[in-house]
Amino acid sequence: MARDLAIDLGTANTLVYMKGKGIVLNEPSVIAVNRQSGEVLATGHDAWDMIGRTPSYIVAVRPLRGGAITDFDITERMIRLLLQRVGVSRFTRPKVVICVPSAITEVERRAVTDATRRAGASDAQLIEQPMAAAIGANLPIDEPVGNMVIDIGGGTTETAVISLGGVVALEAIRVGSFDIDAAIQNYVRREHGVAIGERTAEEIKIQIGSAEPGPQDRSADIRGRDLVTGLPKTVRLTAEEVRFAIDEPVAAMVLSVKRCLAKAPPELAQDFLARGMYLVGGGGMLRGLAARIERETEVPVKMSPQPLEAVVLGAGHCIENYQALRGMFMGTRR
Amino acid sequence: MIAMSFFTGLFAFIAIVSGATLLIMIYFDNRNVRIDDGIANFRRHIDALSPEARQSSVHRNNSEDRRN
Repeated sequence: MARDLAIDLGTANTLVYMKGKGIVLNEPSVIAVNRQSGEVLATGHDAWDMIGRTPSYIVAVRPLRGGAITDFDITERMIRLLLQRVGVSRFTRPKVVICVPSAITEVERRAVTDATRRAGASDAQLIEQPMAAAIGANLPIDEPVGNMVIDIGGGTTETAVISLGGVVALEAIRVGSFDIDAAIQNYVRREHGVAIGERTAEEIKIQIGSAEPGPQDRSADIRGRDLVTGLPKTVRLTAEEVRFAIDEPVAAMVLSVKRCLAKAPPELAQDFLARGMYLVGGGGMLRGLAARIERETEVPVKMSPQPLEAVVLGAGHCIENYQALRGMFMGTRR
Repeated sequence: MIAMSFFTGLFAFIAIVSGATLLIMIYFDNRNVRIDDGIANFRRHIDALSPEARQSSVHRNNSEDRRN
């Protein structure tokens, strides 16, 4: 008998929760494929190490962009491999709950459920990421009070107001932490004439990236390829430069939070001032982002204790209480 | 003849009224059951989201983390 699963199929990372066991898998959403034979060569951490460093016949790709499937075939193979790795065989077909962005279209929704069913699930249900995040962050969403959750992932930023077990207001944009990496890449190329890869851009973001000035502002030496000579080159980047480079995606994230606040009923607005907003997702870990949202909205922002796992924990709770929480799944609202 | 048709009419009238009353009673009875179902479902849904109910899922993850 298969144990039912909850999957947070994120643009950046994929996490799997197994009923009765907890989180059993957490790795990058990357797959490396042999372009000639179509054979899968690596997934997760192994495939992540290959990004930008493969010979021409190997392609290491992220099959999801902005939370949506860009390559159906590769996503199906990735889900199949994930299920195999957590012990799902041809004869054990579990029920699967998958976390998806709330702004997902009907076509994208069908692509995810079809890919999951074809990969070996007996039933595939979808749950909106901010709803799952609020459950996983242990917010008091069973009470008639406003709970605001901001989920910043690799490809999306979603803000939701939740009260009495349901979504009251929602705002989602397809801007996430990968857009911050891309902004850094573009800036270094434009201002320093040096090409860097997406992994280097991510390292810069983690090392010296910030949304607000702070005491930890530093500089870092980065290595890339000179666009004029084609030779390797080292340039020094300051935290202020990076802040300037990433201002556009960060401003878009803050604006989407403001729009969600404006959509919320006035009765709940006082709850946000008293209880604050909760930040989850890997993108929310950018230094100074909570402070910037707090400064621009004048509402306190708190970081969830488990920002990377909150979404899959919430979906995991739904799989543990499948019958009682069926109404949470997309398309089955009561 | 007139008396017979009077009684037939009376019986028909009583039968129709009784039938209609029965149908109305069944309708309201079913409606009450549906309302109760909605309340019970909503209560189950909210109870499943209570911090106590969620404790086990979150605790399970924390204990797994400690083990790893």
